[in-house]
Amino acid sequence: MIASHRLVARIGAAVFALALLYPLSALFAHIGAWQWDAEVRGPALSSVRVSLVLTTVAMLIVVAIGTPMAAYIAQCKAMERLLWQAAMLLPILLPPLALGILFTLAFGPYGSVGRLLNHWGVAMTNSASAFVATQVYVGMGYFVLGAVAALDAVPPMLQKQAALLGLTPIKVFFRVTLPLARLGFAVALSIAWVRAVGEFGAVVVTAYYPSGMPVQLWVDLQSFGLPAVMPLLVIFLAVALPLPWLAHVLAQRRSYV
Amino acid sequence: MFDAEFTKHRRDFPVRLSLQLGAAQSVGLFGASGAGKSTVLACIAGVEQPDDGHIDLGSLRLFPPSLPLHQRPVGYLTQEPSLFPHLSVRENVTFGVPKHEVSDPERVSWIATLRERLKLAPLWDASAARISGGQARRVALARMLVRKPSLVLLDEPFAGLDRQLVRELIDDLIFWSRTVGFSMIAVDHQSEVLMRLCPESAIVLERGQVVQHGTWSDLRRTPATPLLRSLLAPL
Repeated sequence: MIASHRLVARIGAAVFALALLYPLSALFAHIGAWQWDAEVRGPALSSVRVSLVLTTVAMLIVVAIGTPMAAYIAQCKAMERLLWQAAMLLPILLPPLALGILFTLAFGPYGSVGRLLNHWGVAMTNSASAFVATQVYVGMGYFVLGAVAALDAVPPMLQKQAALLGLTPIKVFFRVTLPLARLGFAVALSIAWVRAVGEFGAVVVTAYYPSGMPVQLWVDLQSFGLPAVMPLLVIFLAVALPLPWLAHVLAQRRSYV
Repeated sequence: MFDAEFTKHRRDFPVRLSLQLGAAQSVGLFGASGAGKSTVLACIAGVEQPDDGHIDLGSLRLFPPSLPLHQRPVGYLTQEPSLFPHLSVRENVTFGVPKHEVSDPERVSWIATLRERLKLAPLWDASAARISGGQARRVALARMLVRKPSLVLLDEPFAGLDRQLVRELIDDLIFWSRTVGFSMIAVDHQSEVLMRLCPESAIVLERGQVVQHGTWSDLRRTPATPLLRSLLAPL
């Protein structure tokens, strides 16, 4: 590409990126003084705590269950792999509100699992367990599919060589496969995290209480208007974005440097 | 004693082999590209599964049923050295050493011998991802030999290396084959490499079938097929 064409392309790319990032400029919009009094602050900080603690618990479950599933799918042959991947894809493709309604029905008194859980004293609506379970459902597909892609990128011959050097399959996974796929796993986890922590549509149905940040933002917007929303919005972006953003940038850098 | 007789059905043609090999003996698998040589080695290594037959190594049955890779006392070197890029040269070489043997004096001395003979000392702490192709082959060889395998399978491990390095590596392999006592089955499409590495005997494969098995002088004197005559002819 000659220099002048390259310059035009670069300017075009810059305009494109600026247009994409333009909504972020609203953080500096003149909407009057931000409201951060006791009435807003208490529930807002509580929602931050709920989101961070419960999403962390959800992600631990996602990693604990999703990693072996991804490892299994990664070594499946074409047709079986397609089947599992289609199953993982379904919760991703479900509209969040539909997922929330289906979740409430399935785990509520109408579903057999819901009745069983209720019998054991586990409430699956408006509870911490409902919040965590919804986030697991929301994030699992993203994590598993991302982890499968990361595992696929590890050359199979390295795993076979490791096995021929006397390592059992589980040791091969932890000493070769996982270290080589760790960045892909980090990206997969970061996508699951950002998807779960920002989930509104499903959580608003299954766990209006305890309110996480997205639900609290909605409540504040309805009750007090934009000035009351802005402080929590900034906190929301600050806790939700940096980790996945950094993981992606590092992954890209690793691919091209 | 290595004893195998098996068939592997590929999409194009079945690959069949029957072979007995004593301790510290070697045989070269020779033939044109795509004749099934690598398939034979992959089946013996356990990377691919034969469809029928048997593979025994001493009293150990490798197939059937297929013995898990980690229980096979087999070393397998391919064109790609397949080093672990996230580890150093030292960590690659000692990768197969069980934790409880790391400080075993005999094992430590063996690793030091390999490091010395394969000239790995200057690279010892370097990242495996940042060494040259020739150095990587030497590291892969050391990594394989650390476990003192009973059988070594070589699938064109010297492709793309300069002649001097190939000569050195072959001499090292022959030296260690005698020292450790492992048998060797090597594949190459260059007869001169195989003749030096496995001077005792050769097996010629064409479209998956053994067309000749004998000494190299037999092959030269009475090649079984026109293709073999052509492969053995000087350029």
